[in-house]
Amino acid sequence: MNIITGLFVATIRMSTPLMLGALGEVFAERTGVMNIAIEGIFLMGAWGGFVGAYLTGKLWVGFLFAILVGIFCGAIYGYFTIKLKQHQIVTGVAINILTLGLGLFLYQMLFGIPLLPLTVEPLKDISIPFLSDIPIIGRALFSQNSLTYLAVVLIAVGYWILFKTPLGLIIRSTGENPEAVDVAGINVERIRFLAVLGSSALDGLAGAFYSIGFLGLYTNDIIGGRGWIAFAICFLGNWDPLGILIGSLIFGFAEGLSVVLLTSNFKLIPNEFLIALPYILTIVATIARRKFNVPAFLGKPYIKERS
Amino acid sequence: MKKNNRNKDITVKSELSVKVQDNNILLNLLPIFSVLLGLLLSSIMMMLLDHNPLIVYSNMLNYAFRDIYNIADIFAKATPLILTGLAFGFAFRASLFNIGAQGQFYIGAVLAVGFALKLGSFPMVLALFICFTMSLLGGSIWAAFIGYVKARFNASEFLVSMMLTYVAIAVMNFLLGGLLKEAKGEYPQTDVIPESGWLPSLIPHTRLHWGFIFALLVALVAYLILWKTSLGYKIRMVGFNRDAARYAGVNVEKIYIIVFFISGAFAGIAGFTEINGMQHMLIEGFNPMIGAEGIGIAILGNAHPLGIVISALLFGALKVGGNLVVQTSRIPASIIGIMEGFVILSVILSYFIRDKLIVLRSKKKLVEQEEHRL
Repeated sequence: MNIITGLFVATIRMSTPLMLGALGEVFAERTGVMNIAIEGIFLMGAWGGFVGAYLTGKLWVGFLFAILVGIFCGAIYGYFTIKLKQHQIVTGVAINILTLGLGLFLYQMLFGIPLLPLTVEPLKDISIPFLSDIPIIGRALFSQNSLTYLAVVLIAVGYWILFKTPLGLIIRSTGENPEAVDVAGINVERIRFLAVLGSSALDGLAGAFYSIGFLGLYTNDIIGGRGWIAFAICFLGNWDPLGILIGSLIFGFAEGLSVVLLTSNFKLIPNEFLIALPYILTIVATIARRKFNVPAFLGKPYIKERS
Repeated sequence: MKKNNRNKDITVKSELSVKVQDNNILLNLLPIFSVLLGLLLSSIMMMLLDHNPLIVYSNMLNYAFRDIYNIADIFAKATPLILTGLAFGFAFRASLFNIGAQGQFYIGAVLAVGFALKLGSFPMVLALFICFTMSLLGGSIWAAFIGYVKARFNASEFLVSMMLTYVAIAVMNFLLGGLLKEAKGEYPQTDVIPESGWLPSLIPHTRLHWGFIFALLVALVAYLILWKTSLGYKIRMVGFNRDAARYAGVNVEKIYIIVFFISGAFAGIAGFTEINGMQHMLIEGFNPMIGAEGIGIAILGNAHPLGIVISALLFGALKVGGNLVVQTSRIPASIIGIMEGFVILSVILSYFIRDKLIVLRSKKKLVEQEEHRL
C-alpha cells in the first residue's frame, strides 16, 4: 500500500466518527439545542464500547452499550437544559468535566490499573470484491469497516428525513419558530429532548469507533477534542448533512495526513505541528466561514407564554 | 418585537432578584446544599468500589487539616484555581465563553519558565517581575486573538478558545522537545529554574507562596474593574444584553477584545504562580485539568470574584484531602474529578431551584400586596 492510498484510507476512516457526531449535532441544533456535552459523550461512548466488547467478547454488544451510555448522558444533559432550562454551555461543560473523571474511574473500577492497556480485537474491514481493487481510491472507498458504511448511509437518511419528510419539517421548525410548532399542537420540549437523545446515541457510537472501531483499547485521552471538532463541523457544514459530509472528509484528511506523516519517516515538519493540524484547521475554518444559517432559536430554552 | 419581550423578561427578573435579596437565608445556603449533594452523589461512586464514603470523607477532612503544611497546601493549590476561575468568570460577565484558560495558562507557564531559566543572574525582584509580566502578556495576547476573531469575523469564541488550547499544548510540547528541554535531555521537561526566579514562601516550611496573595489581589482587581469602573459597567452591559449595549453606544467589538485580553491575563498569571511559586520547572502535561476546574469554580462562585476565591479554596481542600486519601487507600485518583463534576452539576441544579424560589416568593409578595390593597 503506497502512501497516497494509505492517506485516502486514513482520511475516510478518521472522518467516520466525525460524520456520526456532527450528524447528531445537526439534528439537535436544528431543534434549537446545542449538544455541548458532545465531547464527554464521545468519551463515555468510547468507554462503553470498550467495556461492552471486552466483557462479552462481542463487538456488537460494545457498540450497543456505547449507544445506551450515550443516550443516558444525553438524557441528563437534556433534562438540565430542556426541562430545567439551564444554560446549555454551562451544563455541557459541567458534564464534560464529570465524564473526564468518570471515564477513568469506571475503567479502573472494572479493570484496576493494568500495567499494559487492555485490548480487544477492533472491528474488521469489509472489502467489497472487485471494487476494492480499483487503484488508489479502491481501498479507501470499498475496504472500510461496517461503521464507515453505516455513517455514510446515515448521512443520506438524515438528509432525507430533515428535508423531505414531515418529521424533518417539525424538527427544523422547532429551531426556527418554536411558538408556531407549539401552536400546531406539537410538544416543543419533547421534540427537543428526543433530538438530543438521538444525537447522543450517535455520539456514543462515534466514541466507540475510537475505542473498538480501530484502536482496540481505551485511554482517557482517546477523544482528545474530536467531539469539539464534530461540534465545529456542524457549524461549518451549515447545519446540513451534505455539508457535514464534506466537512468531515476535510477534517478526516487533516487527521489522516498527520497520522500518515507521523508513522512515516518524514521529519520536515515537527510532530507537534502535525498533531495540532486539525485544531488549527478548525480555527481557520471558523474564522473563514462567514455566512451562517443559524437556527433562530439555537441555544434558547422555550418558555411557554403564560397569561 | 421578540427582542423587546426578552428585554422585558430580563428587567423583570432582575427586579425580582433585587426585591427578594433582603430575606433569603435559604437562598444563601443553596450553594452549600449543592456542594453536599455533589459529595453525596460521589459517595455512590465510592460505594460501587466497596469503600465506605463516610470513612473516605472523614479521612479527607483529617488529611486536609492535619497540620499547618497541609492547610497551607490548600491555599497553594487554590492559587492557580482562583486565577483560571477568574479567567472564565470575567468573560462570563460579558456573556463570553473563554473555555481556553488551560491553553492561556500553558502559554503563561512556558514564558515564565523560559525567562526564569535565562534570568539566573538577575536580582530576585527584577527576575520575578519580568516573569510575571511576560506570562501575563503571553496569556492575554493569546486570548486577545480569540476576542479579535470574535469581533472582526464573528467567529464562535467558544470553539476558537477550545481549539487554541490544543494548539497551546502542541506549542508547549514542541518547546519541551527542543528549546526548553532539560540539559540531561532525557525527559520532556525543563531544568529547575534558578532560585532568583522562585516566589518566596509565605509560611516557612510549607509550599504556600506569595502567589496566593497575588491571586487575591488579582481577584480584587477583577472586582474593581467589573463594578467600580465605567469599563466594567460596559462589560456587564454587553453581558446583559449585547444589542441594548450597542444601541447605547458601547463599542461591543472593542469590549470583546478587552475582555479576552484581561481574561487571558488572569490565566497567564496562573502559569507564573505555578512555575515560579510551586513547580519551579515545567513538565509536559502538568496540571491538565486546571482550565476545566476553573470553569467549575466560576460556576460555583456565580462568576463573582469573592465567590470564586471561596470555591477555589473548597476545590483546593478537595484536592489536598483527596490526593492523600488516594495515596493511602485503593481509591483511584479520578474520584477527585468525579467529586468536582458532581458538585458543579448540583450547583447548576441549585440555580434552577433558586430561580424557582425567587419566582415563588415574588408571586406570594404580589398576592399579599393585592390583598392589602383590597
